Amino acid sequence: MSWRRWLAMGEVELSCLAYVKMYLHACLFPRCSVNGLLLSSSPAGGAVCVTDCVPLLHTHLPLAPITQLALTQVDVWCAQTQQRIVGYYQANACVSDSSPTPCALKIADKIAEQCNNAVLLMIDGGKMSPDYRVPPIVMYERKDTRWTLKDKHTIMLRQWEETRDIASQLLDSGDHSLLVDFDSHLDDITRDWTNQKLNAKIAELASPANGNV
Amino acid sequence: MGHVKEINVLIIVFTEMRDKLRKWREDNHRNSEQIVDVGEELINEHASKLGDDIWIIYEQVMIAALDCSRDDLAWTCLQELKKQFPGSQRVKRLAGMRLEALEKYEDASKQYDSILQDDPTNTAARKRKISILKAQGKSAEAIRELNEYLEQFVGDQEAWHELSELYINEHDYGKAAFCLEELMMTNPHNHLYCEQYAEVKYTQGGLENLELSRKYFAQALKLNNGNMRALFGLYMSASHIAASPKVNATVKKANVKYAAWATNQINRAYQLAGRGTKENKCSVKAVEEMLESMQITMS
Repeated sequence: MSWRRWLAMGEVELSCLAYVKMYLHACLFPRCSVNGLLLSSSPAGGAVCVTDCVPLLHTHLPLAPITQLALTQVDVWCAQTQQRIVGYYQANACVSDSSPTPCALKIADKIAEQCNNAVLLMIDGGKMSPDYRVPPIVMYERKDTRWTLKDKHTIMLRQWEETRDIASQLLDSGDHSLLVDFDSHLDDITRDWTNQKLNAKIAELASPANGNV
Repeated sequence: MGHVKEINVLIIVFTEMRDKLRKWREDNHRNSEQIVDVGEELINEHASKLGDDIWIIYEQVMIAALDCSRDDLAWTCLQELKKQFPGSQRVKRLAGMRLEALEKYEDASKQYDSILQDDPTNTAARKRKISILKAQGKSAEAIRELNEYLEQFVGDQEAWHELSELYINEHDYGKAAFCLEELMMTNPHNHLYCEQYAEVKYTQGGLENLELSRKYFAQALKLNNGNMRALFGLYMSASHIAASPKVNATVKKANVKYAAWATNQINRAYQLAGRGTKENKCSVKAVEEMLESMQITMS
């Protein structure tokens, strides 16, 4: 039974795929700050549907060259695959502080130049354990020139429990190490930062055959 | 006969495990989950065969256990070490690290203070205190303490690198560059320091810094021609310089050449990487298009 309803203006939907990869990215590098881009395959205008993400860095987040390089490459890939960059995520190394850093704001500003309802997502490291029943994320949106906290009721994560379980499963099986971020790609360019392999695994776990709708 | 063979296999497995742990120790690998896996089995099943190695293995496994929130295992290792080396500063430090892992920062700090009271030159205890500041998010204090530490222990590479990372996170690129300069002076063959220095210079921006960044990306490549960050960095810095209205025709021409060379190398590297693997098509194609989209024209 589908209880899907249309997203209202100002609402943001986060797909299972995007959430799981973001979460696994943070888990893969627990001692580092990590960041990445949020993508959408939906057309512009109206609500924001985050359908995928690209994990970017786990070292030297504030430094410019690799960030610029990654943004350009992802831009090009998005054009080829009919996706748009609609947001940015970051998880801070310091678990007790989940507020956006200056570099997070800078990159989010840049994204907002091209996408006027861009979102900035911070992963709350302190709330990532499996016994937390709500998604460990905090979202910001741009009002005038400042990034302000978004009402959590406007953030939609369909089938949250299934999504959370998929993430746990992948952690337990060690498959989270399949995740490739842009940094890892530069260490070994045969590794695929679009994560086709991991995407397939996630799709498999999310399929109806596995009891998930 | 079968009995002897069985024992031989067990011995091989045991020596493999012990050697793995040694290699990880020597390389200073922080692959904590693996260390816990291998180390726990070694300790539980083969303790008697380890001889004196067991003590350093207890230390290695304990630290890895802390990393994996395995306080049970960490506690066991710590107790064995305490029994064997009562009153040891080194073991005291391990006890302090356990307190840190439990986020009992005040108690940990007191532990390190007591070590320093007996031995004011104990660098390990001083560095642990700085790590506590870092864990608590007290960057400014951590930076101050680390600077003080380095005035006394000016040759501590690890500390210089840690300081450069702290400065980068505070966006204090000038001071980060200074730390990396120290590191490059004492480690002239380390391509990573050159490349990090180049990245910091690039981030600082401005023509002079861009030219410096290009030089150091090039130097990093000389030291290690497989460093992709340096290769991309060379491409980007040269492209930006060539596109700058402030440079004369000669400089522009030279940088266009550098950028073109880098483009070639990047394309070759991706072609080699993409050979035979279907899943790379996305990345390889993206790079080709990206390089095209970033191309600067010579006017």
